[in-house]
Amino acid sequence: MEENIIELKNVEKYFGTLHVLNNINLSVKRGEVVVIIGPSGSGKSTLCRTVNRLETIDSGEIFIDGELMPEEGQELARIRSEVGMVFQSFNLFAHMTILDNVTLAPRTVRKIPKAQAEKEAMELLKRVGIESQAGKVPAQLSGGQQQRAAIARALAMHPKAMLFDEPTSALDPEMINEVLDAMAELARDGMTMMIVTHEMNFARRVADRVIFMDQGQIIEESTPDKFFDAPGTKRARDFLSSIRTQ
Amino acid sequence: MSLATLLEQYGEEYLIALLTTWKLTAIAFSAAFVIGILVTVMRVSPVKPLRVFAEIYVQIFRNISGAALLILLVYALPYLNMMFSYFTCVIIATTLIPSAFCSEYLMSGINTIDVGQIEAARALGLNFTELVRSIVIPQALRSSVIPLTNLLVSTMLTTALASQVPMDPRELTGLVSHINTHAVGGVVAFFVSAFLYCITAVVIGQVGLRIDRRVRILR
Repeated sequence: MEENIIELKNVEKYFGTLHVLNNINLSVKRGEVVVIIGPSGSGKSTLCRTVNRLETIDSGEIFIDGELMPEEGQELARIRSEVGMVFQSFNLFAHMTILDNVTLAPRTVRKIPKAQAEKEAMELLKRVGIESQAGKVPAQLSGGQQQRAAIARALAMHPKAMLFDEPTSALDPEMINEVLDAMAELARDGMTMMIVTHEMNFARRVADRVIFMDQGQIIEESTPDKFFDAPGTKRARDFLSSIRTQ
Repeated sequence: MSLATLLEQYGEEYLIALLTTWKLTAIAFSAAFVIGILVTVMRVSPVKPLRVFAEIYVQIFRNISGAALLILLVYALPYLNMMFSYFTCVIIATTLIPSAFCSEYLMSGINTIDVGQIEAARALGLNFTELVRSIVIPQALRSSVIPLTNLLVSTMLTTALASQVPMDPRELTGLVSHINTHAVGGVVAFFVSAFLYCITAVVIGQVGLRIDRRVRILR
């Protein structure tokens, strides 16, 4: 078994002349929780979306559990199915019930029989505390419930790793904790996770490693305690002080 | 001619004509619906030649007049050694044109789908076919019920093109031409056909509204 579940090597990406990802080298070990923070426009969301190639890259390589991700095709779809992703805006399928949202990929991609997929889905919905919402459509749920449904949907594929792209940024304040709690529980259960977030307390509590990005580059990489107590770079210090004075 | 005499003389033919109109409409709309979906899938496919072909298809059949298309089918195709019955020609003409509009309505339905849902489906490992079948077409259909209802009505009205060729049996408009050529049906003959078109359209509209209410996507 590969030690590194997620590995990015020399990844470069430009939006026109803007260098959004500048020589990114990064790996996430099995069971590790890596939190990426940085000012807006630093490229952290782009980085997260690059891992399963929702964003194209101009050069570099991406490996999932030792397998090189191709640019397109069935092989890309197969590797993607092994990496769960949770988005800022939930992105639940609007025309389906919550249960169908969770069972869609297991049934279509993995060809799991309906009854079995639904049984597993109900267990996952129970795990994130929304089993009573299974028959509703996304618009009938609160933002926090929708995001927990999206987490259950990603978990239904038994992913090797989970990507979280600012999962609480679109939520009302009172709903943030229910989502963070679900994520913290996942982390306790040993899930490999890459999380882009602005929730600094959460990052400190849950992360094994913090990565600070600015202007498309990884500026600093360290343990949460070290990063938050004694950041090693001026840019990280400036960033932390700017959010603390808010 | 009074309404009573008209119905006495032509009542049965009106009934046959109404059923013929319904039959033409049902066949043409079903075919247009299937073709419209296929063309739409081509238009969003990752294969460029398919996209180009589908765009050209839609541009041609959205912009050609029904009468011109029917005349081409009836009078030009025989030169290419293709002879179809009048009934078939009418079906083809009233299928091709609505199929282009069907695709246009589905495309605007697709535009209502949040790109995030497509990304989520991709991230879950769905390939193009699975994505189209589970997410894109179901949502496009659910948000195009009203335009597709209107298309069904306009497909029915387009079947009046059959009055331009000697199709047997006659549909509602063909029957009016027939009555007014062979007898003096006058404006009453038109009114009877118009009434039957109207009733059908109202029923279609009501059914469409109900379907829309049931399948509409909450956002």
